[in-house]
Amino acid sequence: MTASEVQKKDRLNWLTSEHPLPWLLPASALMIVFGVYPLIAAVLKTLYRKNAATRREIFDPLYNWTKIFEDPRMWDALWHTLAYTLIALTFQLVLGMLIALLLDSDRKGYGILRAMMTLPLVIPPAVTGMMFLLMLNGSFGVIARLIIATGLLPVGYSILGNSATALPGVMLAEIWQWTPFMVLIMLAGLRALPKEPFEAAAIDGATPVQAFFKLTLPMMSKVIAIAVLIRGVDLLRAFDYIKVMTDSGPGTATETLTSYAGRIYFGNSDYPLASSVAILTLVLVILTSTIFMRIFKVKL
Amino acid sequence: MSFREYDKKTFLIDAANDFTARRISKRSFLKKTAMAGVGFSAFNLGLLGNMRKDRSSLFGSPAWAEEMGDPAVNKWLKDVGSKFKGTKIRYTSEATPPTVVLDKLKGEFTALTGIEVEIEIVPLEQVLAKATQDVQGQLGSYDLYYLDQSWVATFAQDTFDPIALYKDKADLAMPGMDWEDFSKPLVEGLAVYDGHWVGIPFDIPIMTTMWRQDIFDKHKLTPPNTTDEFMAAAKTIYEAEKGNGMFGTGLQAKSGHYSLECDWTQVVWNHGGSIFTKDKKFSGNDEAGIKGLQYYQELLKISPPESTNSTWDGQWQMGASGQIALVNSWDEFFPGWDAADSKVKGLWQAKRPVRGTVPYRAVADAGFGEIPNAAHQGGSILALSKYSKNADAAWIFMQWACSKDIMTRCTLGGGFAPMRLSSFSDPRVKAKEVVGPGTTRHLPVVKEIIDNDMASEPDMPLWAGFSNNEIPVNLGKLLTGQDFGGDAKKCMDAIATQVNKAVADAGL
Repeated sequence: MTASEVQKKDRLNWLTSEHPLPWLLPASALMIVFGVYPLIAAVLKTLYRKNAATRREIFDPLYNWTKIFEDPRMWDALWHTLAYTLIALTFQLVLGMLIALLLDSDRKGYGILRAMMTLPLVIPPAVTGMMFLLMLNGSFGVIARLIIATGLLPVGYSILGNSATALPGVMLAEIWQWTPFMVLIMLAGLRALPKEPFEAAAIDGATPVQAFFKLTLPMMSKVIAIAVLIRGVDLLRAFDYIKVMTDSGPGTATETLTSYAGRIYFGNSDYPLASSVAILTLVLVILTSTIFMRIFKVKL
Repeated sequence: MSFREYDKKTFLIDAANDFTARRISKRSFLKKTAMAGVGFSAFNLGLLGNMRKDRSSLFGSPAWAEEMGDPAVNKWLKDVGSKFKGTKIRYTSEATPPTVVLDKLKGEFTALTGIEVEIEIVPLEQVLAKATQDVQGQLGSYDLYYLDQSWVATFAQDTFDPIALYKDKADLAMPGMDWEDFSKPLVEGLAVYDGHWVGIPFDIPIMTTMWRQDIFDKHKLTPPNTTDEFMAAAKTIYEAEKGNGMFGTGLQAKSGHYSLECDWTQVVWNHGGSIFTKDKKFSGNDEAGIKGLQYYQELLKISPPESTNSTWDGQWQMGASGQIALVNSWDEFFPGWDAADSKVKGLWQAKRPVRGTVPYRAVADAGFGEIPNAAHQGGSILALSKYSKNADAAWIFMQWACSKDIMTRCTLGGGFAPMRLSSFSDPRVKAKEVVGPGTTRHLPVVKEIIDNDMASEPDMPLWAGFSNNEIPVNLGKLLTGQDFGGDAKKCMDAIATQVNKAVADAGL
């Protein structure tokens, strides 16, 4: 091999998987500009105290953190965030599994049904929020009228305008849109299960319910764990439906950590305080997902 | 079954399988699943575009748009404005009638000057957020700011005084601007802070008492003059018409929204109270303030339940759909109710707003320039940003947008109250004082209200925050039963604690 050929080969080596740096650079640059830099900027922002009248920001590292931990509204928001996540996730998981079991068939027409499950997923969440805002309107909303007709709620009752029912109302939109996501993941898991254990169980006289609890669920545990992790992280950051449907109200009945941060940011223009709440949300997401992965031995 | 056949039959399952096995990312998974529903998605995006209320149907004849402006102003635009040909100016605004009409008229300005104008129309809270970010970073992303009256003090340091600018930049001064033509109460209530103009008055929705004549005739009622008469009439209508789905009145009581704060302010003023005292303490929790709030709680009982989830848009809908026959709210509702396709066309009437039965608190006893009175104004101004990179071009546009001809034509197009005295008396505006789209038949009453009853919220830098967060959020907690056990005093005390602390922290 001549010297020039060696040189050329060395140059080309940079284009192989042994030298990933050039290939990683564009993605890394984007990550730094749109991910790392804003995060560092937000953390630094939390160290300042903003004077609302003069707009001056003074270095006072503990001010915002003391303020949010002493703020009952933040604790309410944290509680709403956790309740929203746990309840919506439970519904999505149970409904997702049930629907997946129903759709797990090769019979004619089931393919179309499975395809239709994706439809809610492609609607922008803001549009879903608007749809449910109208459907839950006590005066003319189809869902509200249906519930009122059953006698569960008084005539004209505003589901989203009452603190007792607003959060469930928002969850309805969330559950409707994201249950199909669970269905698709569960279906994938169900279709990948080996047939032999089920055949053996049937020969031994196991009922379908026993087979589900003794075989299906244990074998699906990893799939379920991943699905719960993905949806859980999304739910902890819930914002879209709340913003569109209730704007955190009535009162603070649907205020989550992210919507509280949004209100401080857009309403009071207190960027340092809003950044503190946002960073707190990030910490919550990282902590809960890490604990969850440890417990359920999920590896990413 | 071959892999290809399997793949064809179970494309989605396969994608999900890949995803759970971490062979593809969440993004790729959603992309694949989206392929199946792409048609539906497009359909919904189409719906999204159409969901925005097309206000043009509420407006008058398009004849207003066909006129080509004042010849003297047009010549000035050609001579002076064309020097800035190719410049693009931007501002962001709520979808108020004057902005929507101006958005339609701006082509005339561009045709004469070559200056492009981009108007971003977004919800009110986003207007505030965008303007706030712009001034905080001194970015100059927006050349003009649309400022609600409650934000004027907050942005006072970020805009040019138009009167001073008009004198200082004589070469850019529009002929016939006639500053004296702007209604004095509007200038003082809206545009002036700390002795100088922050911008030019641009829009003036103002509280007006409106009623359905047919319903009042049916029950032999007379339009109310006082808050007590208002309550009595509302209760009569509610008792008589609840079987027909009609309520006593309608409120814009959406928790956490500025609209609720506007309603609350009015009832406090009507009961002899104010938001601040002269020593700059929150006074919504004094005796008058509590009476005002209790009055509002009574009104809520005879209002559509959706009131607690409604802003001014929802309240307007209540009037348009026949749910209410009496309301104390924005005069800007009126033209919409008279629109061509309205079910209540010609039925609504307007009068000066109901007054409290006790004297209004004197301006000298209220704080931060607050003016307690019977008609809460929700006006706005157009202001020129100090950080604009195209300040001269934007200044030319601003003068044109606030000129006599354009303001009058905006009124003709939208039926809303003008800022200029000449517009009120313009023969074209007078000719439209009849029932129909873009009606101006309520404007003589509005002029009377502006001159006699206009009230104003406090002018202070923190007001934008208080009026969008602390006050309406706590009121929402009270009105929807989330907190305070229905006790108005407890709610007001909670607000007082938060507001007084913030005022003290800011060193005001």
